[in-house]
Amino acid sequence: MLKRTEGIVLNNSLFGEADLIVTYLTRDYGLLKVFAKSPRKIKSRFGSSLEPLTYSKISFMGKEDANLPRLTQSDIIKTFHALRDDLKRLLNVSEMLELSLKFMPEREPHFAVFKLLLGTLTKLESDCDNALYLLYYKIKFLEIAGYAPRLDMCGRCGTISYNGSYSGHNNFYVSHGSIICEKCIRDREGSIRLSDGTVRLYNSLIKWRLSNINRVKAPAYMLSEIGHVINSHIAYILGRSRQLRKENFAVGISP
Amino acid sequence: MTQGIIENLITALTKLPGIGRKSAQRLAFFILTMTPDDAKGIAFAIIDIKDKARFCSVCFNITDTDPCNICSDTSRDKERICVVEEPSNIIAIERTGFKGTYHVLLGALSPLDGITPDKLKIIELAKRIQSDSVQEVILATNPNTRGEMTAQYITEIIKPFNIKITRIAYGLPIGSDIEFADEVTLAKALEGRREM
Repeated sequence: MLKRTEGIVLNNSLFGEADLIVTYLTRDYGLLKVFAKSPRKIKSRFGSSLEPLTYSKISFMGKEDANLPRLTQSDIIKTFHALRDDLKRLLNVSEMLELSLKFMPEREPHFAVFKLLLGTLTKLESDCDNALYLLYYKIKFLEIAGYAPRLDMCGRCGTISYNGSYSGHNNFYVSHGSIICEKCIRDREGSIRLSDGTVRLYNSLIKWRLSNINRVKAPAYMLSEIGHVINSHIAYILGRSRQLRKENFAVGISP
Repeated sequence: MTQGIIENLITALTKLPGIGRKSAQRLAFFILTMTPDDAKGIAFAIIDIKDKARFCSVCFNITDTDPCNICSDTSRDKERICVVEEPSNIIAIERTGFKGTYHVLLGALSPLDGITPDKLKIIELAKRIQSDSVQEVILATNPNTRGEMTAQYITEIIKPFNIKITRIAYGLPIGSDIEFADEVTLAKALEGRREM
């Protein structure tokens, strides 16, 4: 049965001599893997439409329970090539793609995640070097997936912070995925200390809309603190051996 | 008994890529009709390649001698290195009449698949540039996201050597029609246009 939808290519892997298995985040089917026949041949009708980040209208064919439906058509809507053409940007964006690949189950539609990815890529294309977009994406993605760290209440007693932070005592515990208040702390080892401003920024970011992000100018240390919390939290959830591989991607080996 | 040996050959041939049972059966019966010398020639060639094939210590091409034929050929232009992803790419470029030398990376960068720079022969390339009198590095990685990322990464690494770094051109395949080209390929072809 022929099905049509829109999707963003998250990854593709080589299969056989000239074939590819393409992983899409689709509007109607969630994470979807399809088989594409011969796209690596020079005269392939798929052209560059199966490259990561490409947003396209796709048609695929397969039985309802088929593991790997066959891709029959792919028409590019947007290429996001500005993000693909620069090594640093591509490395940042691949963190976003990897989150979807690691956290999302196959064939479970989730329009909010699709909309978030498409929206963030669109914003990033015009404002490539705004680090806040990447951070915002990670936080919102974890929130949708139900894994977002809690910086607004104590992970043990549930005390809600006053005025958005714990007034200089913001200790984030990766194992709890939240801040632990001064009364509940037993051991300070392994905690990440955060400034009041960082906690307030995080608690605001989680409520803000993507369209408002370009108005925010946050100091670098706050972005770095939130980035550290989010990356440690993701690594903890995924397990040490499966943490995001971009971290292992050494950009600066000198000859 | 006869069925047994034919069956063995068919099963062995189905292990080759793109060969299903039907094709394997056809090949097996064709091998039966071949002269003993031709059939043994194929068998020995397979045994030979498995016994003797190794990577060239200079360029990482597959070879039976070290250094490989290309690296040890004195008529080759050693000042130009063409960087490719896989040894099979060399065969395609050799058909163009290129007379420089090669460097095989044995893959392309892909953070999503865990292929990081340390898994490729990039440091070896940098060392080669440092020790040999290389004037130009031609980056002939595949024109896709992984290949492009690899080319950009290598450029960053070898830029301090102050040598000429070039990237193979993008564009439309000869014999194709503009009408059927996708927008990215066409945009790249327009970007890389040259004066006539």
